Amino acid sequence: MRLNTSRFEGCTLTGALSVTTAVSGSVSVIHGPSGCAHHNFSLLHTTALEHDGTDVPQILSSGLLENEIIFGGEAALERALAGAASLEPSCIFVLSTCIAETIGDDVGAACRVDRGVPVIPVPTGGFLGGVFEKGVNNALCAIADTAAPATSDGTVNIIGEKNLEYEVEENHAELVRLLDILGLSVNIRFVHNVSPDDVAVLGRASFNILRDQGVVAAGDHLKARFGTAYHPSFPSGLSGTLRFIRKVGAGCRVPSRAAVHDEQAVQEDMLAEFSDLSGASIALNGARAPSPAPAVAREVAAALAMKVSAGGCRVPVPLSPPVGTAGVRRMLHRWRRMINA
Amino acid sequence: MPECTNPLWPCAMTGAAAALAGFDGITVVIHGSSGCYYYPATLLHAPLQGTFIMEEEVVFGSEKRLLEVIGEVSTPGTRVAVVTTCVPSVIGEDVRGMLASHDVILVDSPGISGDFESGYHKALGSLAPRVDDQAPGINIDGVCLFDPFSAGNLRELTRLVNNAGLEGSTVLCADTLDSVWHSSPLTIGTNSDLASGVGRMLGGTLGFHDLRDTFEKIGDREDRANIGPVLQEIAHKEEHVIQACDKYLRRFDPPRAVVFGWASYAGFAASALKTYLDADIACVGTRNPVLPNVPFRSEQVNSLSRVRELVSECRPDLVIGSSFERPVKPDAAFVGLTPPLRGKVRLSSPPLAGTEGTLCFMEGVLNACMDRNRNIPTGA
Repeated sequence: MRLNTSRFEGCTLTGALSVTTAVSGSVSVIHGPSGCAHHNFSLLHTTALEHDGTDVPQILSSGLLENEIIFGGEAALERALAGAASLEPSCIFVLSTCIAETIGDDVGAACRVDRGVPVIPVPTGGFLGGVFEKGVNNALCAIADTAAPATSDGTVNIIGEKNLEYEVEENHAELVRLLDILGLSVNIRFVHNVSPDDVAVLGRASFNILRDQGVVAAGDHLKARFGTAYHPSFPSGLSGTLRFIRKVGAGCRVPSRAAVHDEQAVQEDMLAEFSDLSGASIALNGARAPSPAPAVAREVAAALAMKVSAGGCRVPVPLSPPVGTAGVRRMLHRWRRMINA
Repeated sequence: MPECTNPLWPCAMTGAAAALAGFDGITVVIHGSSGCYYYPATLLHAPLQGTFIMEEEVVFGSEKRLLEVIGEVSTPGTRVAVVTTCVPSVIGEDVRGMLASHDVILVDSPGISGDFESGYHKALGSLAPRVDDQAPGINIDGVCLFDPFSAGNLRELTRLVNNAGLEGSTVLCADTLDSVWHSSPLTIGTNSDLASGVGRMLGGTLGFHDLRDTFEKIGDREDRANIGPVLQEIAHKEEHVIQACDKYLRRFDPPRAVVFGWASYAGFAASALKTYLDADIACVGTRNPVLPNVPFRSEQVNSLSRVRELVSECRPDLVIGSSFERPVKPDAAFVGLTPPLRGKVRLSSPPLAGTEGTLCFMEGVLNACMDRNRNIPTGA
């Protein structure tokens, strides 16, 4: 099949919801058919369960049916917004769908009505608005605009975590560990289980760390609004993790030499745990460009003197590269399971 | 449907995809955006194709893209079925006209047209099922990829039909496409909310009572049938359930239960709880319209907010439902009945129909209630 990548990159709405539903106490109003809301609620609910969460995202659909398609859906949106306001949320996000975009409802006008709580429109339009990543960036930017610039306090923001990622908490823990050896602390996780009050201090951080290149648009937006420089991705792989420590140290103007030295020792100890894999022949399963994951996998294989060949044992390469030294350790456990199976 | 908080049930497009994807010999194409495609693709665990339309196709029309995908996925021996989504429907495209010169099944069931069941039935109807009076065996109805019990139900009913000396005929909807046009005249059901209307429906198979009735009707209508072993098994297995529940009631009070699910499944669960555990059925919330003459307080419940209200009002110690209901009252015992059942590892395929179905369900209830009771201090 002819490849047109953007066709397959998912819905803007889903991307935006992965961010807005991570603001505690908020309600996300989806202006569209209830099926769109169900699809996304089901996904986000499942993710919450897999993250051992107890908070269920609040998603309210305007429930467009054929009647609204013909006569306009703005009255349905108004009812949905009134319903959302009655829940006394911390804020209301309003997201449109490809259906609302197609029939041309004026979502912005409904958002300008004073409802006693902040009402934040997020530009989405299903596939008409872009792709999943665009939805994430749009939501991050819309939420960032609710915060005022502030004096920097030496902390770090974590920007654009993949809230649907199965190991999102483990990746965060690894990042915090690495920041800790640099003597840095986190201001907020933007946006992951934060309240609107937390968001208000977004501008205090001295440096932003982006989850990956996919949220560079949000990183640029924050840089323009707050003047906060950023590092464009979480640490990945062995040398990548050491490089991350150096770059973040430089960005935050803290010394990093000792931290790099300590982390090298951690990596050597970790690799020693897998010395039994030395000499094993492996094939990298699922290694696809343009992800940096295959390069990380090859680096790890080389560090353990493993042979990469098409005829080797097929070992999994994660879609996103493993985060930090801990991520590499988890990947190697999966490899050992495959090799020993 | 009016505005709705956290809607719990899929749309017509998903229902149509679930029906069609169950048949070997059909390649299902979701004509819509990637967002509409990914949900049924991940939910049904079936190979689906998509047109993944974009803004360009909305502005200039999707015919070229649709025909391109049909051309790419068409293979000898299979038929392509196109399921439309909301956007092609809203922009008023003449999809039927586009496909007029192609041997393609078209199911116009966008999400805005209704709920899961309406799409399922429309898709099945589009295949124009036919009864072959000479076809032997018994059709098994209501088997749907969306249903977490469908594989177990099919295995269990095939076993029981075989034990009665007969063979299964067409499975709706999990069979070859050709079999849809050669269905047996006799049908037994699993999930009556997905009843196909194909063949003469002899009855359901949820619970020992209905199962016994249905197999007695099979015995009346099929000369070749020997239903004795099945009736014997029903009596034997029901006694197991009675004994286990009686033992439970020697130590514990009956549960106060709320049940959420398809109307037929929820009715079965409530009846089983009442019959074997003398449970207090505080409320039955159905995802689809309530069946008539249900002897319990019942209403259609499609939003998580209404689930929360009912649970808060009813104060159950047993919740039967989906993974949406499970966290609503974490201190209650929970048994999964309704899709989706996520957040827990599920590797096996338990049934809900047949003798094993009731055993599996009641086993789950008793274990969940006992686990909960062990965690509650005496006298609490």
